Amino acid sequence: MSIDKQESVKKLFTAQSAKVETNKGDAYYNELYDRCRARLDELKKLKPLNNRMDFMQSIEEEGLERRDFLKWASATTAMLMLPASFTPLVAEAAVMMNRLPVIWIELQDCAGNSEALLRSDGPKIDDIILDIISLEFHETLMAPSGHQAEKQLEDAVEHFKGKYLLFVEGSIPQGIDGHFGTIGAKAETFIDHTLRLAKDAAAVVAVGSCATFGGIPAAAPNPTDAVGVMDVVKGKPIINIPACPANPSNMVGVLLHYVLTGSIPELDSLLRPKFAFGYRIHDNCERRAHFDAGEYVEEWGDEGAKNNFCLYKVGCKGPMTFNNCSIIRYNEAVNWPIGVGRGCIGCSEPDFWDKYAYERPMANANIKAPTGGVEKTVDEFGLGLLTAAGIGIAIHAAASAVAGKKSEEV
Amino acid sequence: MKRMVIRQLIEKIEGEAELDYTFSEGRIEDVKINFGFYRGIEEILEGKDPKDALVITPRVCGICNHAHLIAAVRAIEDGYENAGVKIGLTQKAKNIREFTLACELLQNHIKWFYMTLLPNLEKYLKIVSEENHAMKATYFSTTITKALAIFSGQWPHSSYAIPGGVTCDPTQLDVMQAQSLLEECVRFFEQVVTACSLEKYLAIDSVSQLHKIEGDFGRLLHLLGSNGMAEMGQSYDRFIVFSDSFLSKAGKSIVTSVSKVDTRYVHESAQKGSVAKAVSYKNRLYETGPLARGMVSKEPIVKSLHKRYKDSLMTRVFARVHEVALLLEESRKLLKEIRVDEPSCTLEAELKLYEFEGTGTVEAARGSLIHKTTVNNGVIVKYDIITPTQWNLSHGNEKEKGIAVKAMVGSQSIEEADFIFRTFDVCSVCTAQ
Repeated sequence: MSIDKQESVKKLFTAQSAKVETNKGDAYYNELYDRCRARLDELKKLKPLNNRMDFMQSIEEEGLERRDFLKWASATTAMLMLPASFTPLVAEAAVMMNRLPVIWIELQDCAGNSEALLRSDGPKIDDIILDIISLEFHETLMAPSGHQAEKQLEDAVEHFKGKYLLFVEGSIPQGIDGHFGTIGAKAETFIDHTLRLAKDAAAVVAVGSCATFGGIPAAAPNPTDAVGVMDVVKGKPIINIPACPANPSNMVGVLLHYVLTGSIPELDSLLRPKFAFGYRIHDNCERRAHFDAGEYVEEWGDEGAKNNFCLYKVGCKGPMTFNNCSIIRYNEAVNWPIGVGRGCIGCSEPDFWDKYAYERPMANANIKAPTGGVEKTVDEFGLGLLTAAGIGIAIHAAASAVAGKKSEEV
Repeated sequence: MKRMVIRQLIEKIEGEAELDYTFSEGRIEDVKINFGFYRGIEEILEGKDPKDALVITPRVCGICNHAHLIAAVRAIEDGYENAGVKIGLTQKAKNIREFTLACELLQNHIKWFYMTLLPNLEKYLKIVSEENHAMKATYFSTTITKALAIFSGQWPHSSYAIPGGVTCDPTQLDVMQAQSLLEECVRFFEQVVTACSLEKYLAIDSVSQLHKIEGDFGRLLHLLGSNGMAEMGQSYDRFIVFSDSFLSKAGKSIVTSVSKVDTRYVHESAQKGSVAKAVSYKNRLYETGPLARGMVSKEPIVKSLHKRYKDSLMTRVFARVHEVALLLEESRKLLKEIRVDEPSCTLEAELKLYEFEGTGTVEAARGSLIHKTTVNNGVIVKYDIITPTQWNLSHGNEKEKGIAVKAMVGSQSIEEADFIFRTFDVCSVCTAQ
């Protein structure tokens, strides 16, 4: 590796957008603690919205103990990258989630993120989602339908003007003046619908890879000219929670952070919360030791596969994918793709469908990294670990440069 | 009374649909089903590597994504076989795929029952219920998708099935964990859905014994029966199934006579004013789904209901909930018979064919799903996805109205038609893709 390359890798590692500071110093945390305390005290004075159930009561009814709840609170505190001393505050914030109005809309989607949300974990998080958060509008989950539902949406927007979080699931088609996607009996286009609801939102949360980067609909040749929310909505804080589906823990994390602090979490230049997207899958992968030891699955069903060796050679994109699924996992932490010997497809990165889609090894993937291209095979990998890390960061930074420009326009 | 058209939005399905009802003489004369939604997944697949379909097609639908994965992998395997490559899946790979598919059907049926059907029936009959239907649905579907994820890595949108097998290599401990989750679901079915043991439930084989079913399912049957709804929503009494599975063999049933089918006679056509394509078999429309599977495989209890109520909403609803019991029972067997020491995958990962044509069929929750792939020079040149809802929700042709439309015609109110529509387990994201 030449000096130039080493320099560029170093630069990428130290770029501001790629940095995750897990310890910001006592002064910072003390100030944050006081701010959260004041925020929660203010929220406490507000009445729960829509007579939602009491959180602790519903936990008891589900037969869960306070200890289970505190265990969840401390795990969530760690996930949000806050010191352990914040655990009681996080627990308090969870109880007060019923003060936060949420509107959830589905656009050009497959409803996969809503499905994932239903399988969120925690102390019977179904309770939190369905009973505690004031989900003022969600097409699939709410009781009313048809014209009644449309009215409920209008009422919620009017009533919670400037206060609600708008969750968007699905991409936005721009082709034929947006008519590839319309909503409601008046056939309002997805673009108009999103802009109208975003206007009065406190912040917009784009959930899943479709809403963040255009997702599958935006795959070449992008028949409907689909884009993500940040390409359409301007002048509002936007939080991107990519992945296909987005991990429900990260959705709850963003909500909780908002209840707790009254602000959106720290974001990277792709507008992803750093607590969830600050590290690569590779950094915390359960098969990482095998990567370091040079033990790989060469063919599915081989001895390497039986021994849970590293999936890099069968196309795992973990080294270049920023997400916390190696820690959080899916379906109540039962498993994740790498757990079943399927390499990561990089679903939380922009353009994954065209770049990473199937299990073609990274060497043959359609990726050009600023460090001089991807090495042909692991055997020629040289400084395997460092280079792989560099590539991940490089791709991240390259994409960030584009996204950074976008967020400046806001 | 003059003819009038009323537009109604249907939500609480996967995506949304818009129905234009034409009334004449106080009864529904025609219905137009529109979907304001298009992504162009088939277009996106063109020019891509055939294996990309394994990642892209599951994203057609958040609720039957796994069925798309299995259909896609079968289409590639069929193409390989046509090109002379022997596939030879191990029993282990077959059982794991069947089990994960069964889990997906289970979560779908229970969610439909509790989140769509019961609430809408209560709304239609103006019953105020204290029950938290959504909670029951999420309990069951969370539990069974955990069992699914043990083998598939995650749900929705897993990609663990590959040509020649599966990527997972479960230990006996994984299988036991899945068994314990499955038993949790069996208990839910026994205690909440039917208030009757699975064994006793499965012994019910005629209408005269329906009273043995209690629980939420029993309540639903009672509500349908006592409110004169049992014979509502009849269509053409024609059914089709394209995939062999334990639920049914492939075949078509016209009234009660069953004959063979071949996917070559499936024809897709564009519909005026809709992005969703219509599908027919030898120019005729057929219903697909659990009722079709019950009729083609001559499931005794479904046949008995059909004898009494024809292809009414009662028979249709029953057939879907009944599948829950069949799936639970079969899943137990599938897990028990997994031999962990067999190979997971029998094909080389690097094996790449440049020219092939293949068809994959699968029994998805809502009926037969068909994937057809044509590969030239190593890339997909044509990919057809024919979803179950395209059969059930098409507008029909000059000669005949669509399956669901026919079932709604004659209804006296929008509420009645709306309920009939939902008995089909509607999915707009699949229909329009």
